[in-house]
Amino acid sequence: MSRRGRLVRGLAAGLALAFAMLLGTACATTADPAIEEAAADTEAETVTAPAVSSRLATVRERGRLICASLNDTPGFGYVDESGNSVGFDIDLCRAVAAAVLGDPDAVEIRLITAAERGPVMQSGEVDLLVYVTTWTTSRDASWGNFVQTMFYDGQGFMAPKSLGVTSAYELAGASVCVNTGTTSELNMADFFRQNGMEYNPKTFEESQVAFEAYKSGACEVFTTDRSALTALRSSLENPAEHIILPETISEEPLGPMVPHGDEQWFDIVKTVMGILIYAEAYGINSGNVDEMAAGDNVKAKRLLGTEGSFGQEELGLDQSVGQTVIELVGNYGEIYARNLGPETNIDLPREGSRNALWSNAPCSDCPKGGQIYSQPLR
Amino acid sequence: MRLSLTYQGIPIWRHSRILSWTGQIVSGILVVAAVAFFISNVATAMDQRDIPFGWSFLNREYSTPISEHLLPYEESDTFAYAFLVAATNTLMVSVVGVILATTLGIIVGALQLSGNWVVGKAATVYVEVFRNVPLLVQLFFWYILLLGLPPVREGIILFNAVFLNNNAGLSFPWPEGQQRPGLWLLCVVLAIALGIATKFFLERREERTGRPSYPWLGLFGVVIAGSLAAWLVWVAIGNAPYVMSVPHPEGRFGHPVGGYTISIELTALLLGLVIYTAAFIAEIVRGGLQSVSRGQSEASRSLGLGTMQTLRFVTFPQALRVIVPPLISQYLNLTKNSSLALAIGYADLTSVAKTMTQTAPAVTIFLIIMGIYLLYSLAYSLIGNLYNRHIQFTGG
Repeated sequence: MSRRGRLVRGLAAGLALAFAMLLGTACATTADPAIEEAAADTEAETVTAPAVSSRLATVRERGRLICASLNDTPGFGYVDESGNSVGFDIDLCRAVAAAVLGDPDAVEIRLITAAERGPVMQSGEVDLLVYVTTWTTSRDASWGNFVQTMFYDGQGFMAPKSLGVTSAYELAGASVCVNTGTTSELNMADFFRQNGMEYNPKTFEESQVAFEAYKSGACEVFTTDRSALTALRSSLENPAEHIILPETISEEPLGPMVPHGDEQWFDIVKTVMGILIYAEAYGINSGNVDEMAAGDNVKAKRLLGTEGSFGQEELGLDQSVGQTVIELVGNYGEIYARNLGPETNIDLPREGSRNALWSNAPCSDCPKGGQIYSQPLR
Repeated sequence: MRLSLTYQGIPIWRHSRILSWTGQIVSGILVVAAVAFFISNVATAMDQRDIPFGWSFLNREYSTPISEHLLPYEESDTFAYAFLVAATNTLMVSVVGVILATTLGIIVGALQLSGNWVVGKAATVYVEVFRNVPLLVQLFFWYILLLGLPPVREGIILFNAVFLNNNAGLSFPWPEGQQRPGLWLLCVVLAIALGIATKFFLERREERTGRPSYPWLGLFGVVIAGSLAAWLVWVAIGNAPYVMSVPHPEGRFGHPVGGYTISIELTALLLGLVIYTAAFIAEIVRGGLQSVSRGQSEASRSLGLGTMQTLRFVTFPQALRVIVPPLISQYLNLTKNSSLALAIGYADLTSVAKTMTQTAPAVTIFLIIMGIYLLYSLAYSLIGNLYNRHIQFTGG
């Protein structure tokens, strides 16, 4: 008995010791970033954001850019007849892919819902988010870094003309369809509350279902950013039967976003956006890149990489990155015209709007310039 | 040479008690280590990526509307209360869904075994169709179908009191508290308690004396008389505890106000959940009924019991022992599947939580709703297991 008892006790003690050591290791793992990282690296490479190593290197090694975007808003991000993702936001993804990989098609568009944007950015599983996303302070703080505003928008309401509504202040008692996880949902709550109006919100995960509910009349009103309303209205059978109410109830600066924690990557995307904007300002487009590169406009030549530098080397980009991007994707104006311009169904007027270039007002008596601006490229 | 046959005990590597203890301890260590690893991984990742975490938001104003709610709710209420409101919505869907799905499931399950070829086959077709189409697809189907209802301006109105349209849904007259309705309800509860006591007493009397004493009549008599008496007292003092509130169109859009409204979102959700889950329940019921040996029903028939009586008194009680455990897991499924409500715009727990993540830490919010769903599931399991123990053979 005594012998067996000793044995059991000894064994138990040994196991307890082993248990304590294992626990200790588990705790130590938390404290040791090197082990953590090694562990993280062995997991799915796209899921974990390397803390130190650069996203640029990751993207180049992978050979494609992972860009989260949308497929439910004509003009901004949707799937065309041949099954390709196209749109204003998709083109911004393509511009970054062209800059980093030299190929605008080397991009994997990850279609997500609006509510998934926060988690997707926080986990760092995508390189870039271009999803008509409003720049707000709390998103900037908790999701990732907003790059810069590429489209100025504001929230509006759309209703069938047959209701006879002419102002958003007449919407008391209406059912309103909205997409969950959007600023629209929050602004709408503020607007109705501020004005002491009762209303019945219907929130949906998929904006297609929300819009379907609007089309069937289950909500009198549909709300989102005005540009998206215009785009969605163009997709209706009878666009003329629907009115976009005149009130803009919010400020919605839309722009791309990168995950937190990689400043070089943040700077690269900022620079690419700058290239798109300055190319338009300097009159460089996809048709005249070669001509401008050999021309005598010094600023244009710097942008195209044939003279001086605007920090390409420090950013880890090719000297001719400007040429590549403009030749393959076009400048800001071309991207706008292709997706939202007068030749599309959407036809969002740009001249005189906030989405015109700031530099369109070089003189005191010419039309007012817009707000599309970027940090100087030099 | 003689072999020593002295007994030396069982070697430790073959000692059953030691082996089993070692197994227990090793697996314990592995489980704890795995949990510790995952928790530390989450903590590190959240730290690295600056993912906010905390509970202080619970006392903040939620300031977002919840479109449909059983409990009273104002936008100025706190996050904590909004959780309660949303959790109650989910609980309501779950309880109503479970009751309806069980009823439908039992009927269909019994019909599958009916001698009538057409009825039996129809029940089987129902089961096979709804069991084999994804629930999300079914929910979209019901929702799109209900969206086909006319909008409120052209909506269906019956007797100027019942409204059916695709904006508000189905609105009908419903009692509305007027004067101390809660106190009156308490009186009703007391009357029910008294009624049950009366029934118990009358049953005893019947057993003792052998004279019919109508215990059920006693129960209902006491309940109705008690409630009515209390109602009359209320009227005598001032106002009736409840008045009938009749919906009537109001405002520019003419949405019905007053009465009670069941939205098309809730209807679609309940339709989808009930019809889907009932298909599984029907199979469980069919299996349960078939597990009772034929001898039982033959014996009861030979004793002179009819088909329904055989089902009710002989087959079904025995089948219950087989039916109840898998039934509980269907209840759990229904409760968890109700989180698909988000897809069709019903403000259930998951849907509200997802909206909350915009203005509060997502990780905390999801921990809370996981806790709530777990609580519901455990409650169903507990009730189910207690009932299951109650209906098992008690021996003797």
